[in-house]
Amino acid sequence: MHRKVTATLKGDKWFITGAAMGGLMALIALVGPYLVPYNPQEMSFQPFARPSWEHPLGVNDGGQDILSELVHGVRNSLSFGAMVGGLALILAVGVGLVASWYDGVVGKLLMSCADIFMAIPSVMILILVAALFQPSATVLALVLAGLSWPTTAKAVRAQALVLRDALHVRAAVQMGGSAWYIMTRHLVPETFPLYLVGFVAKARMAVFTEASLGFLGLFDPERKSLGEMIHYALRYYYMDTWWNWLFPAVLCLSVSIMAAGFMAISLERVLDPRLRSLWG
Amino acid sequence: MGRKAKTLGNVVNFLVAFSLLVYLSYALPRLMPGDFVTAMFASSHVTLSAQQEAEAKAYFQREEGFGLYLLRIVRFDWGWSYALFQPVLSLILQALPWTLVLAGGAHVLASVCGFVMGVEAAWRRGSRVDRALVGAMTMLEGVQEMAVGVALVAIFALHLHWFPTGGAETPYAEVSLEARLVDMAHHLVLPMATLVISYLPGNFLLARNSMVMVLGKEFILTARAKGLPEKRVRYAHAARNALLPVLTRFGLRLAFMVTGVVVVETMFSYPGLGTLLFNAIRSRDLPLVQGVVLFSSAVVLVVNVALEFVYTRVDPRTRHAP
Repeated sequence: MHRKVTATLKGDKWFITGAAMGGLMALIALVGPYLVPYNPQEMSFQPFARPSWEHPLGVNDGGQDILSELVHGVRNSLSFGAMVGGLALILAVGVGLVASWYDGVVGKLLMSCADIFMAIPSVMILILVAALFQPSATVLALVLAGLSWPTTAKAVRAQALVLRDALHVRAAVQMGGSAWYIMTRHLVPETFPLYLVGFVAKARMAVFTEASLGFLGLFDPERKSLGEMIHYALRYYYMDTWWNWLFPAVLCLSVSIMAAGFMAISLERVLDPRLRSLWG
Repeated sequence: MGRKAKTLGNVVNFLVAFSLLVYLSYALPRLMPGDFVTAMFASSHVTLSAQQEAEAKAYFQREEGFGLYLLRIVRFDWGWSYALFQPVLSLILQALPWTLVLAGGAHVLASVCGFVMGVEAAWRRGSRVDRALVGAMTMLEGVQEMAVGVALVAIFALHLHWFPTGGAETPYAEVSLEARLVDMAHHLVLPMATLVISYLPGNFLLARNSMVMVLGKEFILTARAKGLPEKRVRYAHAARNALLPVLTRFGLRLAFMVTGVVVVETMFSYPGLGTLLFNAIRSRDLPLVQGVVLFSSAVVLVVNVALEFVYTRVDPRTRHAP
């Protein structure tokens, strides 16, 4: 099944576009900081200098090189997204599998927990935590991951409930396989396709949220973020700096989110047989 | 599980979620190490006089049990804002109408338009219109409110000068009520358009998927076989049933939209709850942050609970159930 999925994905326009865009942004995030000549914190340049050879995107109001700022912003956004995506996924798989295998009181309890978490507007808790403790971005990522696992956990549980009754899993139980053995040998690998969708969707949501939190000024000001850049660039809208300051930040943010969105949509289409009929 | 039991279960979930939030708003400030007042005001724009500092310390270090705190919340005694020197609740109530018009209007508009477009696109599944719409909406889904707002301001406010860049009405203008309403609507266009454009794609894709699923059902075939007019099949039979999943997501999408509203209001300096929250964060005005967070979460949860009851009424399968 997995090989077929790879083949289908390779032929899917949305997936290829998304992966290309995501790859480009990842490249910027990984290599960019080593290529830009300045430290994004360095404030020794002439504020509002126009773009030049030394400063390809000019200098911002605080005398910082905009290109360096942008590259570090992309890196922080993407790493925040990847971290939330990964952590939320681990939580979701754990909860989903346990809830399906112990499908009695434990399962019910875990699923009501998931429902409760889904009802909470997570950004409000993030704002509260950020305003009170002014924690590092890592802590906020942990909080966000802790709030955003339920949707994936439900999907994993639903899939695992079907698997549990499959013949080969029943055979494994008959042969005396422990819960741990069956979960790690059968349930984890066989629900794998869901992880891709879950990871990409959560990472997308996290990049989205990170930009909003940055825009609201909830991160450590030392940490560059695209949302924060957009916030400051908007203040100097009238100065005709929008194309070298505002636009690149907005573009990077949109491309990152779009890339994840395209990949998530195409993965869902390819992996969910019920949806396959939707896209004629 | 019956529909009624499920509704009850969901209502209980929302109540638990809200209690959890209230408890967090009680416990989190108390988890902070050291002296809260010094920590909050040492590095802020707000400087307290000696008396205010003493009062603030007395207020925050008063050891209040959770029961008392809860009682205060229920009695709407939400404390005073330190930056604006007004009761938190009255600040919230001043900002509320603006946000209700902006966010409520945008959510309803985005949902209705998204639903109708989704139904029409699904009906023409595989056609050029459908493909173009799905493509465009998938692209738009990746554009954040921030980006949409920036683009709209650049084009319609800075370049064409059609709409103002911010605010909710022209200040100090003494005009008749009608002129004032027109002025307010004029100011509302850009922020509302930003929100509608940002949240339309999600609603569209949801409605389209739901409608395509319904169109494959046998009762649609029956309706057609009976020779009903197309419009009737499309709306009375198909869309009616495609509405249900869309409706259940209405409340969850509202919770999702809260972030966007805060960002858009801040961007357009619209005097609603979002701007209030933003300014409260900037000036580290903790009682106000707490108040707005609690209040807006409560609104989202109440809407969700109300929807549970609407849902049972709208679902034709449960209407006749005992």
